[in-house]
Amino acid sequence: DSHIQYERVGADVTMKCGSMDWDAAVTWTINGTDIDESHLNGSYLILKNVDLSQSGQYSCYEGSSWHLKYQTKLRVGTPPKEPVLMCRSNNYPKGFYCSWHLPTPTYIPNTFNISVIHGTKDMVCEKDAIPKNRCHIRYLQLFSTVKYKVTLTVTNALGKNFTTLTFDEFAIVKPDPPESVVAKPVPNNPRRLEVSWQNPSSWPDPESFPLKFFLRYRPLILDQWQHVELSDGTSHTITDAYAGKEYIIQVAAKDNDIGTWSDWSVAVHATPWTEEPKHLTTEAQITETTSASTSSFMAPPTTKICDKGAVVGSGAMAVCWTAGLVVAAYSVLFI
Amino acid sequence: MATADSSSTALRRRDLCSRGIRLAGKMRTDVVNLLDAYVEQQGLDASASVAAVEGVPLAAVERWDEQTGTQRLLENLAAYRAFRALLAQMLEEQREQLGEADAGLGRALAAVLLQVSAFAYHLEELLRLESRGIPVEEGDGLPPPPRLSLFEQKLRGLGVLRELSQWATRSVRDLRQLAKPSPATDLAESP
Repeated sequence: DSHIQYERVGADVTMKCGSMDWDAAVTWTINGTDIDESHLNGSYLILKNVDLSQSGQYSCYEGSSWHLKYQTKLRVGTPPKEPVLMCRSNNYPKGFYCSWHLPTPTYIPNTFNISVIHGTKDMVCEKDAIPKNRCHIRYLQLFSTVKYKVTLTVTNALGKNFTTLTFDEFAIVKPDPPESVVAKPVPNNPRRLEVSWQNPSSWPDPESFPLKFFLRYRPLILDQWQHVELSDGTSHTITDAYAGKEYIIQVAAKDNDIGTWSDWSVAVHATPWTEEPKHLTTEAQITETTSASTSSFMAPPTTKICDKGAVVGSGAMAVCWTAGLVVAAYSVLFI
Repeated sequence: MATADSSSTALRRRDLCSRGIRLAGKMRTDVVNLLDAYVEQQGLDASASVAAVEGVPLAAVERWDEQTGTQRLLENLAAYRAFRALLAQMLEEQREQLGEADAGLGRALAAVLLQVSAFAYHLEELLRLESRGIPVEEGDGLPPPPRLSLFEQKLRGLGVLRELSQWATRSVRDLRQLAKPSPATDLAESP
């Protein structure tokens, strides 16, 4: 007969060859490969301190006739550790979901059972088809001070374990991140970026349950973020961007009144508008024909004075000029 | 004329709802702060479960999204009238217990009581706007509440403030529903 046998990692396992006597001549195989006689004690197969690699199909055959006398599938594994459970409402006020996983694999099948109690009332957590380790509950009541208690039990052939979460209705409210974040330069504004986004599609009623938002941005070349909290609207104009520098921007959301902030949205990149460079021939001509009284500011005719994106000061406009324009300006001053 | 009246009523309703939302939001913030201070100064465990206390209106509601505008206003009004009486009682007990020793907590309680009273009045304004009769306030002629031990008073106070915090959150949501320009507000005058 064939069946499944579960054993813990490190256990000593003895397999009997069905109803065969101890002194019968037998051959044991694992997954079709003969097992060395050193593992036998009479007709018994002895496996000491089993490990995961010893899982497999074990078969016992009578010595001369090679009749199959016993077969078993050995699965080596571990009892479950305390599962990790998380519950969250990303679609308030409709309901919440709980999801779980084991911190380490058991290598054998596990069964999960979840119970949800609100006060004295048992609630049904409907299992999701995908992912399998998740279930959802519809709120039957809103604005309750009575806590929810969720208990998850995990069982396998080698043992069981459980964990319990207790929480308030408001505490687990956490929207999904904002969607469709877009950042665009503003024409003729070298220090502005226009950012817009949408409410997460999973948030069912943003009109009655409005979200507020947190925007963070920084130039790629710096590590420090700037933050802006916005109590309404789904757009914002950054007005202090460094000219010509590429920015990374993210947005998070939170219910206006309860719960916690969402994770950050997918990051978007944008660079503020910059002026197109002037034609070089024109600059060279201006340089040759104007006065040289401010020669300290003159550059070779074919060279731009500064990098396009240079920042003059933290509060000042970023400026990029050509040699010709500077010389022209000073010429006017000294006339 | 009827159109002008109804549009001015709609504007007035929206204005009252907006102000009500701000009042309720401020009240909620102050109640949450008061709750923290109350737990600390009364030596209570913030996570302690408090059984439903008689006379404290529960904010918990089923099928909240199906409520009519009138239901929302009436339930809110009944709740805040009850909280007005409960907070007044808490204030009196506070003064009896501690005298001047805990003046800060007493002042915070009094400030919240004032806001609760103001909000109740605001709700009455909304009901008047909809030509709904203001329910007569119950409580006259009722026997005085049973005398509780000091610890029971503290626990009841915790229950009152927790439930008030939930109500303040609910009221913001209720008024947002009322402010929506749709038939679902169900505040149109009776034919």
